[in-house]
Amino acid sequence: MRLLVTIVTGLVVAIAGVLLGAWWTPFVIGVAFGLVVTRPVVSIGLGAVGGLLAWLLPLLGEEVRYGLGPTAASLAAIMGFGHEGAIPVVLTLLVGTLLGLTGAWVTCAVRQIAVPKTR
Amino acid sequence: MTLDPAVEAPAPKQKARVKTPAARPARVVWRRRRGRPLLNLAAALIVTAAVLYAAFLPAGPLPALGPAFNPTTGAWTMAADAQVTDRTLRLPGLQQPVRVVLESNGTTHVVAQTDHDLFLATGYVHARFRLFQMDLMRRQGEGRLSEVFGKAALDTDRFELQLGLLRTAQLEWSQLPVGDPSHAALLAYAQGVNDRIAEAESTHQLDAMFTLVGYQPKQWTPIDTLVIKGDMTQTLSFDDTPILVALINKSLGADLTSEWFPVLPPNRQSPYDPGPYPKAATAPIETMRAVSDAEAQSAAAAYEVLESLPKGLLKTEGASNNWAVAPSKSTSGGALLAGDPHLDLTLPSIWFQLTQDSPNFHVAGVSIPGTPGVLIGHNQHIAWSLTDAMNQQTFFYLEKQDAAHPNQYFWNGAWQTYKKVEYDIPVAGGAMQRLTVKLSVHGPVIADRGLTTSVWWGGNLPSQDLGVLLRVTQATDWKEFRDALRDWHSPTHNFVYSDDRGNIGLISAGYFPQIAKGRPGLPMAGTGESDVTGTIPYDAIPQSYDPPSGFLWSANQWQVTPDYPYYLGTANFYDPGYRANEIHRVLSAPGKLSAADMAALQTDTRDFLASEIVPVLLQSLSSDQLNPTESAARDMLASWDYRMEINSAAASVWWTFWQSYLGETFDPWWKSRAVKVKRADVNAMLGQDLEFWTLTDPVNRAFSAPGVGSRAASDAERTAFHKAVFTLRTSLGSSPRSWTWGRMHARELTNLALVSDLSYGPRAERGDGNTPLAAGGRISTAGPSWRMVVDWGAGTFQGIYPGGQSENPASGWYTNLVETWWDGRLDPMLSADQAAATSGVATWKLQQ
Repeated sequence: MRLLVTIVTGLVVAIAGVLLGAWWTPFVIGVAFGLVVTRPVVSIGLGAVGGLLAWLLPLLGEEVRYGLGPTAASLAAIMGFGHEGAIPVVLTLLVGTLLGLTGAWVTCAVRQIAVPKTR
Repeated sequence: MTLDPAVEAPAPKQKARVKTPAARPARVVWRRRRGRPLLNLAAALIVTAAVLYAAFLPAGPLPALGPAFNPTTGAWTMAADAQVTDRTLRLPGLQQPVRVVLESNGTTHVVAQTDHDLFLATGYVHARFRLFQMDLMRRQGEGRLSEVFGKAALDTDRFELQLGLLRTAQLEWSQLPVGDPSHAALLAYAQGVNDRIAEAESTHQLDAMFTLVGYQPKQWTPIDTLVIKGDMTQTLSFDDTPILVALINKSLGADLTSEWFPVLPPNRQSPYDPGPYPKAATAPIETMRAVSDAEAQSAAAAYEVLESLPKGLLKTEGASNNWAVAPSKSTSGGALLAGDPHLDLTLPSIWFQLTQDSPNFHVAGVSIPGTPGVLIGHNQHIAWSLTDAMNQQTFFYLEKQDAAHPNQYFWNGAWQTYKKVEYDIPVAGGAMQRLTVKLSVHGPVIADRGLTTSVWWGGNLPSQDLGVLLRVTQATDWKEFRDALRDWHSPTHNFVYSDDRGNIGLISAGYFPQIAKGRPGLPMAGTGESDVTGTIPYDAIPQSYDPPSGFLWSANQWQVTPDYPYYLGTANFYDPGYRANEIHRVLSAPGKLSAADMAALQTDTRDFLASEIVPVLLQSLSSDQLNPTESAARDMLASWDYRMEINSAAASVWWTFWQSYLGETFDPWWKSRAVKVKRADVNAMLGQDLEFWTLTDPVNRAFSAPGVGSRAASDAERTAFHKAVFTLRTSLGSSPRSWTWGRMHARELTNLALVSDLSYGPRAERGDGNTPLAAGGRISTAGPSWRMVVDWGAGTFQGIYPGGQSENPASGWYTNLVETWWDGRLDPMLSADQAAATSGVATWKLQQ
């Protein structure tokens, strides 16, 4: 139960942070997951999913409010990908995911050194 | 506390693990696995560092990915920015509430209760839709592009700082009296722009390009506006012609150069001001002299500098049309006016369409984002439009120097010390660059190899053109209009005029530099005797008012006849005049004209040059042996109406023939004399020569270039025709009927940030460089940037430009005007009240 509360709290904080412009919040939440959830696979997974959702849900909100099709196509054009609007969407979600994932991963890795599991 | 289920699991599980045969003491496990956590940590640190670096910092062409793609404050905000709805906004600095009406197509109407608020709201609106464009334009003029785009823009920045748009703008601002209306307008406008910058930053809705390039716009100042005015002046009047002619002179010799690059145009022109002219005691232009090695070396150095600049920074060939028709020739019984200035066609466009209403201003038309007023348009009583007057405004001087007098030049009988101005140019991703600009009495030194070359340029004369423009927009008759233009300096423009009382006029306002003596078509001695001494008196500049013919027109042609006593420039500063001749042909035809006729003439595709040359060519071909393909091509020309339409194969034959004919005549000279200038750079002048010789001097020596033997025009025509047909057959296939112009010729509206996928086209297009519908080159990137037709009798005002009001590519207003423009149609120019009554409008209430 406490695990669930932690996950939900982390997600809410991450999304709120992104909504307020603090786009790096998923990394911080990833670090928090890495500190709190000691099993690396779980914490890294949570970090990745948290990062993904923290960037995906606000993006969905923009899509619902304004429609992102022309914007995605324009961004693809600016980035040199023609009018393949899916590419900036994927890239955006990848950034969020990687922020959360790396936050959790690097914390777990440090934790493994500093606090060996079997000790 | 830990929440790891593995750790919180019951103790027996751990014990069981210890009891298994495979279990080992913890210390042993730690030693064996010690390498893996370290490896894991190293990998995590490397990947994390890479992710954080890419997220926080720009890398090469990539922006910092975090802020750039943040869904709520990054480039995705383009979507929200594209939405325009009814709103109430608070703008610091407003004196009274302002109403802004936005039509469904984006045309904007600003209705203010004070003049101050009008310009403040205009600044806000411009910045709301065009802030990135405005920032690019000021950066270009101020030499600050490298700061955001890196060293690729360094040459441009160095040139601009040398030339001195920023210095001139600073001087203009310092000289502008505080009580002058344009002083107040500039300050209010800057406030409006800054209000938008502050709003956009607080709501994270800066144009996405700022986010993607990774910088924030700095505060707007009146000097930025004056620099943008300088950008336009530079594009329209900074001309490297004397440098080109010096290099050509060195290769071809003074004799040929004098003949091929004459002072007066050799071909038939249609001046709008036929005289009589006032008498004037002006110094005759000296004959062409031979250029020395040192002069040629310095010209080559200057050519190198100017050739390295991006397209569009310097004046190239002129191309704008405007005309007015008196009530006596108008079907509506009122005066007609039409104007279509030809500029680089970009997305976003150089223009922003709006109306401005305040106690002292009621004006509709197009403005340049970054500047507070309407440049082309109409008010309640008068309408006006512009074309480039084309006179020489750039003079190059060779400064006399001596090793015994370092950092000095000889002028007016004494050694003078160069003034020096130092600039630091910040470069994104590189070290700060220091630039020292040397200034002689003539202007900045632009090349120091061989002889030192400095440049006198009309755009560097401080002038209060914005004040002039505001007075023009308030004028109610010709006298006020003409009086307002008295102070207009640069660039010189042909201002066409019509009013609600049936009057028409045309005046070439601006600075017409006169020199004491010398040959201004070449770089001149900087020792004082060839200096610019002043301008043509205002009453003597080309102008006409209510002429007996009932119409006036300009299309960058010579405004006057050879009897005109003052120096305007050499022939190659001007347009060859084919558009002007065609417009004159249509307007002078019997019968009356309507607004629809005006719009049709703006998109006229009849090539006047072709109408002169093709009959001569057909005559030359009549005695020639032609193969079946050539015969078919000749027959198409024989039945052609000289219109460069997309589905016309004859148009392709003509155009290819003319290019081939130019090459056939001049390339042997270029090759045998090793001319350093690209022939294409002077094709407009060579084309005039070729036209003239073909029609009146078919045995001119130019046809008998070294290595080709003795020839006449008809020989060159036949050879060129054979080559043209061969070229077409090779590139477009063996069926002449399929060689349609649309397969060879297209137009592109280029994205201002050079993002090709955000450009429009290339799309097959009619017209060419000689037709009123200007579309020069194979892929034309310049042309009618705004079309306006005013019919005072019918009370109709119409206009259109290619593009849209918004620079946001995700906006419905990015390219929404293109189709109407492409089809040659016009949109009604509504007043604010008329617009408010239409459907689909949005209204902004601006409050303090």
